[in-house]
Amino acid sequence: MKLFSSRFKQVVAILRKDFLIGMRQRATFAAMMMFALTATASLSLSTGGAFVEPKFLAALLWVVIFFAASAGIAGTFDDEATAGTLPTLKLYADAQAILFGKMIYVFLSLVALTIFILPIFLILFDEPTENFLLLFTTIFLGLIGLAAAGTLTAALTTSATVKGGLFPILLFPVTLPIFLPAISLTEISFTSAAFDMSSLIMIAAFDSILITASSILYDYL
Amino acid sequence: MITFDDVSLSFGRHELFKNISLELRGGKIIAVTGANGAGKSTFLKLAGKIIRPDSGEVKFPADKKIAVVAPEMKIYDNLTAIENLKFFAELRGKNLSAENILELGERVGLNLETFGNVRVENFSTGMRQRLKFAILLSVDADIWLLDEPTANLDDAGREKFFQAIQAAKFDKIILLATNDRAEVDICDEIIQLPF
Amino acid sequence: MNKILILLTAAIIAAIIFLVPPIKGLGDLAKIIFFHVPTAWVSVIAFFASAFFAAKFLRTSNFSFDKLSERAARLGFIFVLLSTISGAIFSKLTWGAYWNWDPRQTTIFILILIYGAYLTLRAAVADEKVRAKVSAIYSLLSILTVPFLVFIIPRMYFSLHPSPVLNSSGRIEMDSIVLIVLIAAVVDATLIFIQLMRRDFK
Repeated sequence: MKLFSSRFKQVVAILRKDFLIGMRQRATFAAMMMFALTATASLSLSTGGAFVEPKFLAALLWVVIFFAASAGIAGTFDDEATAGTLPTLKLYADAQAILFGKMIYVFLSLVALTIFILPIFLILFDEPTENFLLLFTTIFLGLIGLAAAGTLTAALTTSATVKGGLFPILLFPVTLPIFLPAISLTEISFTSAAFDMSSLIMIAAFDSILITASSILYDYL
Repeated sequence: MITFDDVSLSFGRHELFKNISLELRGGKIIAVTGANGAGKSTFLKLAGKIIRPDSGEVKFPADKKIAVVAPEMKIYDNLTAIENLKFFAELRGKNLSAENILELGERVGLNLETFGNVRVENFSTGMRQRLKFAILLSVDADIWLLDEPTANLDDAGREKFFQAIQAAKFDKIILLATNDRAEVDICDEIIQLPF
Repeated sequence: MNKILILLTAAIIAAIIFLVPPIKGLGDLAKIIFFHVPTAWVSVIAFFASAFFAAKFLRTSNFSFDKLSERAARLGFIFVLLSTISGAIFSKLTWGAYWNWDPRQTTIFILILIYGAYLTLRAAVADEKVRAKVSAIYSLLSILTVPFLVFIIPRMYFSLHPSPVLNSSGRIEMDSIVLIVLIAAVVDATLIFIQLMRRDFK
């Protein structure tokens, strides 16, 4: 219990520290937002206001989220490794506290990313969403898994000497069990068709497996 | 006490340590000396279990905490001096009060009233080193691993630092990797590398 | 062992050409199925083997397990490419298109992505100790997706793929000669895989 509470305090301290640095050094965050905006704009411009099938639109939304997230979270550990602070952090904080501190930070930045890009996306493609609750739940659950797998993947790629494009290559196959059901649920939320609860449950189940696995595997790093 | 039990470590084909067994006792400052590349920093990292040996084992009681001052252990450039201090202390479960902070600054010769809210990116190398010492003093560690700690310090800074570790050594194990005469002189014991 | 395998392989090829009756309306090229099924089988086996050795490596830090994990992945990558190509040819003959995102095509494509990602990661990390750890972790992370994909994909993609040899009704819908040759080919491919894994490790 004591161990748990001291880890919890470390998680909070790391989270607060990352926020402080994130606010002062806005480049990473700005790049992620601009990436999402650029991708959305280029897709919308190229379809020129023509009607886009909800199925296709749902896939586009997740593609935008995936690649913008990749741009934003690939450097989760790299920034500290480059600055030379990662060894210090690893010395003073528990490994699990570092992982979860970073994971929560990544999750919250992905939430911020979605809050920014989702309205723009829906307005530019003129998509009347029928079931907002389903859309939000799907995105919320999807982002949890993306943050869990993304944080571990970012830790793996930190030691790579060749980084260009490595992060999304590694992240994509691992997060497919999230994307496939999330895309069909998003499509349903656009059209208000009946949806299958088991898909939502499956994303949640995969989320918890990713969190558990990240936690176990990170100790071997 | 830190125990090396039959420890070996190599980098590629180069065998740095082979079947080392030794004991490092507390209450003393132990100098680790040797030519460049003899493995001073690596020996410190092995002692603190920061890196694992290829074979053999390094042991010390699980409740002993480690603190390190080393060139590769950087502090946060885009946080202020006080934010750095508070962050690392918090990771070790301590909340520093404003008085604590000023007092720590005094002990290492860093005026935190003036520079406390300045971001570390504006600090000189010597000021950073002093801040690292302040962090070292704040975290209550039992094992101190110091890698060429006074390389960038002026005479006043060195004097402050020597005083601080002399005063602290009685309940700690202090390893000091150095080839500097003045640093070796304050140590009670010398380990010469390679073995 | 090598000689026996060469003989067995030759015998199976002969059986496929001369013994197996031509598949109705598809021509002789359709016999590529006898190549497709065994290579697909091995690419899945190799995936699990790679993850198994990855777990062994993380537990023991014994670098020969890392070598085995890497070798299984490299072999698996070659087998999955062969299987995908042969499958696409068979698909063209039976359904008229090389590719149509059938559940099994989707699955095998994901397998290519995972193998590719794993091998890219290995190539990108210079330090061999770090490379071993990092790739073992990725291998184990990626295998977690398997049960979920097996569950999700058939629900999302409509299938034209022929039923597995033993389908749900438990009936075997094949000539016994075809079945025997197919099973022999799968066993042969598995043995070839094992033999390639054992090379240099005796």
